This record gives sequence, structure tokens and C-alpha cells, in this order.
Amino acid sequence: MVKEIERAGIPVVHMCTVVPISLTVGANRIIPTIAIPHPLGNPSLEAIEEKLLRRKLVEKALVALETEVDGQTVFED
Amino acid sequence: MRLEIGNINIQDIQFGDKTEVKNSILYVEKEALINAISGDDHIRSIDVEIVRPGESVRITPVKDVIEPRVKVDGPGGIFPGILSKVDTVGEGRTHVLKGAAVMTTGKIVGFQEGIVDMTGPGADFTPFSKLCNVVIIAEPHEGIKQHEHEYAVRLIGFKAAKFLGEAGRNVTPDDIEIYETKPLFKSHEEFPDLPKVAYVYMLQTQGLLHDTYVYGVDAKKIVPTLLYPTEVMDGAIVSGNCVSACDKNTTYIHLNNPVIHDLYKLHGKEYNFVGVIITNENVYLADKERSSNWTAKLAEYLGLDGVIISEEGFGNPDTDLIMNCKKISEKGIKTVLLTDEYAGRDGASQSLADSDPSGDACVTGGNANMTIILPKLDRLIGHQEVIDVIAGGFDGSLRADGSIEVEIQAITGATSEVGFNKMTARMY
Repeated sequence: MVKEIERAGIPVVHMCTVVPISLTVGANRIIPTIAIPHPLGNPSLEAIEEKLLRRKLVEKALVALETEVDGQTVFED
Repeated sequence: MRLEIGNINIQDIQFGDKTEVKNSILYVEKEALINAISGDDHIRSIDVEIVRPGESVRITPVKDVIEPRVKVDGPGGIFPGILSKVDTVGEGRTHVLKGAAVMTTGKIVGFQEGIVDMTGPGADFTPFSKLCNVVIIAEPHEGIKQHEHEYAVRLIGFKAAKFLGEAGRNVTPDDIEIYETKPLFKSHEEFPDLPKVAYVYMLQTQGLLHDTYVYGVDAKKIVPTLLYPTEVMDGAIVSGNCVSACDKNTTYIHLNNPVIHDLYKLHGKEYNFVGVIITNENVYLADKERSSNWTAKLAEYLGLDGVIISEEGFGNPDTDLIMNCKKISEKGIKTVLLTDEYAGRDGASQSLADSDPSGDACVTGGNANMTIILPKLDRLIGHQEVIDVIAGGFDGSLRADGSIEVEIQAITGATSEVGFNKMTARMY
């Protein structure tokens, strides 16, 4: 899906836990996430902390979307 | 470490007044067995049935299959850290009721459980149709939590296998196999010119009912470590998972892991089989990185020339498999991968979720997405209505005439990734 959308000229940020698979399939902007069963959250956190975590991830993804990349890039912290 | 496996051939199982083995027949005192495995507050009822190869019986959903064994000599007992104390096992003598198994069923625990047909086309796809099975039907109380249910049924299966295994304690085995692994330096002294080979044994540990236990420890909490291969034959590793039926290692498969048994066959002749590195398949990337770093580190530390790596399950564990392969290969150690495939019903899709050029030697247990039609059988043990929702089933799998159309993914042991079944896939 990532590749097909990019082929249509729209940049994509792939948020995923297993970064190596994302690299194998050819995503260009990759945001590492939390865990496979809960990529964008963390049930062990308090609700307020989890909200902050989720917001941070989305903000990071938006920054990645605006960033020019030269080939596959993993946006680490 | 040296272990004698005394196989007591079991040709039939019957209910009797006493639990004993006589003339290759295992007699089971039903009430005593039920008493021995009862007592969990989460379980409402337990019943026991016997099924034999060739009978027109379907068992579903099958959770685990366990081989009855008993330790007759040497430290510890069967299933250490779970039913026995945590003594290190794998030494002395263990008796096995060969040809017999315990199979657990009842209300489904997780959606990834299996089908075992004792006759017909489905029977060809499961290694467990060739065994005489004591089927334990454990029904839980309403409202039980899934993880409590899984734990209860898991323990009931082990207890039943231990109870039956005791019947073999004082029986003279039909044959005795000897397996021995010496400490690393001694074994190298003995075979200085043979290539050193180990087995990287990946255990399913994704959590949420996808777990494996090592000496009672939840294997998602371990870092990769070493076992003598014979420890596995005494139940050091047990299944606690409801991952897709076709490629999960049931406890029976762990006890009889063909990779270990076959590696012993040419040990000291063509290579030196030095031991087993166990590792996990966790759901955090850092865990995947750490564990694969450690398998590679241990492989290097042992001075290995080659490893066989087996995966359990599919999907994200494909990445663990590839990480292990890549990092071990980078150390200059040869690798062979054992896996299965999810290549779509036509076999045309990508087989694994991840890949790397270093994975150039790979053996597959078959394509789990292939479909099969299973005819209606005369007798059903368990709950057939789950067929539409188990992994490999789909809406409409269970047809009005009682036949079933499913992917072979739903058949217990069909695409075993340790080669316990006879399937593979080839390119034409």
C-alpha cells in the first residue's frame, strides 16, 4: 500500500514496529512504533501518559512527512 | 549429558480397571485419570475419550498434543518447573509410551486451534492421526478469562500425560535409544576434525496466548541460552500456545523434535552436534534485535561452523528468522532455515514477510494457505462450530452436509516447521 500510494505521487510515512520488514518492502519514511499488538499505544501506561505518547508519534510522523529524504530513512528519536 | 530413551510400543488404548501397559496395550482407569487431572476451579467438567487411527472421528478444536513419558532414572522429573521440581533434566533414563498421546480439547481457548481427523484426506495431513489418542475434553466455567482458560487446559494436558506415563515406569522397553552430548571442549577433543553444528530453536513467544515455557519460565522473558539437546526430550520446553495449528510445535513435537533427533544420527560421523541455542519471537523490535544479536553471539562463542534455524509460527516471526539468519551468516557461519509458507491459495504470493540474500538454504514445510475439503465423519469430539472462526477457516467453511472446506493451516501439525510432518513445497 505504501509503495502504491507513493507511486501515485503522494509521500507516505510508514509507522510500524518491525522496521526490518518495512525496509524490505521498500517504505521510504519509517517511524518505529511501540509493539506489534499495540503499535500506536502502550497499555502499561496511564491514560494521560499514553495520550502524550500517541500525540508524540503522530507529530513525529507529520515531521517525517515534511522531510525531504534521499532513499529509505528511519526516523529514530 | 547422556539420556536413554526407552520406547514402549503402544498399539492400542482401552479403558480398564487399572492404568497399566500389558502386551503393548495401554489400559486406562478412566475415573483415576479424571481424578488426577481435576481440581482447577476454572474448569466445569472433564471427560475422556479414546480415539484410534482409522476411526471415523474428528477432534476439534485441538489445543495441544502431549506424549506420555516418565523419568525412571536420573535427576528430576518430566516437565521440570511445571509438574516436577526445576532440576536440570536430560540425563539417565526416560520411558516413553510410543504411539500414544494425550490430546486436549473442549470449548475453544483462542481462535488459533486445530482439527485432527483420524481417517480420510484430513488424516494424511496431520501426524497425530497415526497415534492412539486419549482425548481430554475440558469444559470451562462461563466467564472464564482466556489466559486462565489456556493455563488450566495446558496443565490438564501435562498432568494427563504424566499420569499415563507412570504406567510405563516398570515396563521393559521394546527398544532403547541412547543420546549423548558432551561438554563443549570434550566433544571438540573427541571430534577435532568435524564441523561444529548447533540447532537454533526459535520458540513462539508473541504473548496473548502465543507462548512457550522453558523449565516453567515464560520464554518471552528469556535471553537466548544453551540447552543440552536431551533436556528437550524430558519436557524442558512445553507449548502454551494457540498459534495457527499447522505450524505450532505441540508439546509432543517439542519432545520428539526431529531436528534434534536427526542431528544425533550423524553426530560424530559427519559433524559434531554440540547443542541447542533456544531463542524467542517477541513483539518488541528491541527484543527481536537483542535476541538475534545473542543467537549470533552464542553461535560465534561456540565456534560453530553451521546452524539449523527453525521458526515457529509465521508473520512477524519471519523477521526473527531472517535476523537470526543474517546475523549468524555475518559471523561466517553457514545457516539452513526451516519454515513454512503463506503464499496464498494459488501459491503465487510472497511466502514469508521478510527476506534476505543470506537465506539461501531454506527448507519449507509446505504452503499453509492451500485448501482442502474434509468429508463429514461419523463422530465428533469437541465443538465443530468453531471451524468458521479458527485460523485457516472462513465464513462458510462448515458446510450444511457436515463437510468442511479449510486451509490446511487449520490442521494440527500440517506444515510443521521442524519437519514433524511429511509435507514440503516445491517449485515446478
